[in-house]
Amino acid sequence: MVSNFALEETIDKILHNNEKSVLSNIQSGFIESQKTLDNAIPKLEQEFDKIISDGKKEADKIEKQIIGSSDLEARNKQLLALEIAIDKVFTKAIDQISNMTKSDDYSNLIKSLLEESTQILGTTNVIVNTNSKDKTIVQNLLSKYPGAELSSDTIDCLGGITVKSKDSTMKFDNTLDARIQRMKPLIRKEIASQFGVGN
Amino acid sequence: MTSQGGVQYSKIAEIKGPLVVVDDVENAAFDELVEIETKEGERRLGKVLEVGNGKAIVQVFEGTSGLSISGTSAKFVGKLMEMPVSKEVLGRVFDGLGRPKDGLPDPIADKFIDINGEPMNPEQREYPKDFIQTGVSVIDGMITLVRGQKLPIFSGSGMSHNILAAQIARQANVVGTKDDFAVVFAAIGVQYSEAEYFRRSLEESGALKRSVLFLNTADDPAIERIITPRVALTVAEYLAFDLGMHVLVILTDMTNYAEALREISAAREEVPGRKGYPGYLYTDLSTIYERAGKLNGRKGSVTQVPILSMPSDDITHPIPDLTGYITEGQVVLGRDLFRQGVYPPINILMSLSRLMKDGIGEGSTRADHSEVSNQVYDAYSRSQEVRALAGIVGKAGLTDIDLKYMEVGDMFEKEFLTQVTDENRTIEETLNLLWKIVSKLPKNEITKIKDKYIDQYYQGK
Repeated sequence: MVSNFALEETIDKILHNNEKSVLSNIQSGFIESQKTLDNAIPKLEQEFDKIISDGKKEADKIEKQIIGSSDLEARNKQLLALEIAIDKVFTKAIDQISNMTKSDDYSNLIKSLLEESTQILGTTNVIVNTNSKDKTIVQNLLSKYPGAELSSDTIDCLGGITVKSKDSTMKFDNTLDARIQRMKPLIRKEIASQFGVGN
Repeated sequence: MTSQGGVQYSKIAEIKGPLVVVDDVENAAFDELVEIETKEGERRLGKVLEVGNGKAIVQVFEGTSGLSISGTSAKFVGKLMEMPVSKEVLGRVFDGLGRPKDGLPDPIADKFIDINGEPMNPEQREYPKDFIQTGVSVIDGMITLVRGQKLPIFSGSGMSHNILAAQIARQANVVGTKDDFAVVFAAIGVQYSEAEYFRRSLEESGALKRSVLFLNTADDPAIERIITPRVALTVAEYLAFDLGMHVLVILTDMTNYAEALREISAAREEVPGRKGYPGYLYTDLSTIYERAGKLNGRKGSVTQVPILSMPSDDITHPIPDLTGYITEGQVVLGRDLFRQGVYPPINILMSLSRLMKDGIGEGSTRADHSEVSNQVYDAYSRSQEVRALAGIVGKAGLTDIDLKYMEVGDMFEKEFLTQVTDENRTIEETLNLLWKIVSKLPKNEITKIKDKYIDQYYQGK
């Protein structure tokens, strides 16, 4: 009986020691995992912040892309619509010019165009071309320019004249078409401002 | 602009390369715009290069191929070449001569400006000192670009300068101000695929809205390249000084510009200078580069990033050499880094931004910027020496501190220098990365940074 008691006591002691060691291991494991977890939290927070900030950056980028391209698309459509309107105004204005009645003012205009052209070419010894409608007006004015001749060939234009030296080396285009063409960018601007653009 | 046109001359004496010599010309002016009309009625633009003895030498921008002496006429328009400008040019794509290339009509002009620009009064120039964020760490952190500066990128053939240029164009911005920012991008003699890449890259990123593109492709006449940077700068000056915007002008590739200049010079039979370039190459380049700057009392600024590819990677070639005399520093791309697959392959040891010191620090970027940048520059330089040494004695022969520097060099290239092409880093992120590299060094090796910044930012043990 005595030996059994001693045996049981030894077994109990061993069990107790084992239990203590297991508990302590569990405890230290728990503390260790707690520590690892604690350490991981700032890292996790950092990662979380990075993911959020990257996501925000990406979202900003996409937003910028969408807004940028739709703004541009809208603006380009507006530009095309404006150009169509400007073209219509141009066509109407050109129609009006071609249908206008030739008054004294028009004769004065041709006179100033002749003056300007001969001055630029530096000679009155020139051949003048005009359209069939303006032939008489030009012919009447040419007497004031010694050496100037009216060509029998007519040109297709709204009005005005082209002047070239008799050796054909110099030519000056002073038709209304050429003048409108030269001034077109400014006229476009003027028309656009009537539509409230470019002010 | 006037309604009065110019005289059309039909006596063509000679056609030589890109030049047309017109005879019996009176009253032509130097640099005057000329309209060349072919027998078939096709019109090309040119400008007067020389007048005298009744002759005018006209440089035809669109080339002279197909022109014949008989039947060709030259109309002297009576004005210099002008670019129509207005705010509407933003978001538009033009060709090398400033004509729309995007299928849209000509912009409604607010003004017509001579493309040669007006020289800036030196007395009116304001010293550049405000930071531009490119989103590229190595530039922002170590070769900082400043508003009003001209900072060229020296590259070599086949390197990633165009990708870098597009990235800068997409990402560049001014920080700490609500002022408007715009990018004027001039592609000079680039391949069609590159021109498309630039256009698509800006369109897809939404940056086209605040950009103006001038595209002169490699198959466009070389002579157009003389005009492309000038029209681009004319638009930039208008946006900056009339509309008060901060404008970044990217010109790529200036080598193609210089080659077009050489072509004209050869056709004019001028005495060639170094490598056949004209003796006035320096003066000519300065008429482009000196159009960058800020003016007293004006809100905007023009900043230039010209890109040039050095033939045979030769930095002593006349183009980079003369460019370096005019500009305020340079960003040099390194062939070794490029071969290693590093993007952007910027060799910081050969690069420098002369105005950086005035554009960084407290109030602009961050108080520690200059010091941390210097420390990293120093460490990277040392790492290069250590790498060379390791090549001779092997890694085993290196000391612990040498190995640390080698590690710093690797980290610099892998984490700081290397960047994805659509990665836009803020200056804060860039500086934090610089500190991450510095923190690899033991504290006693940090000699260029004040203790207070080390205490605040150092992350090492």
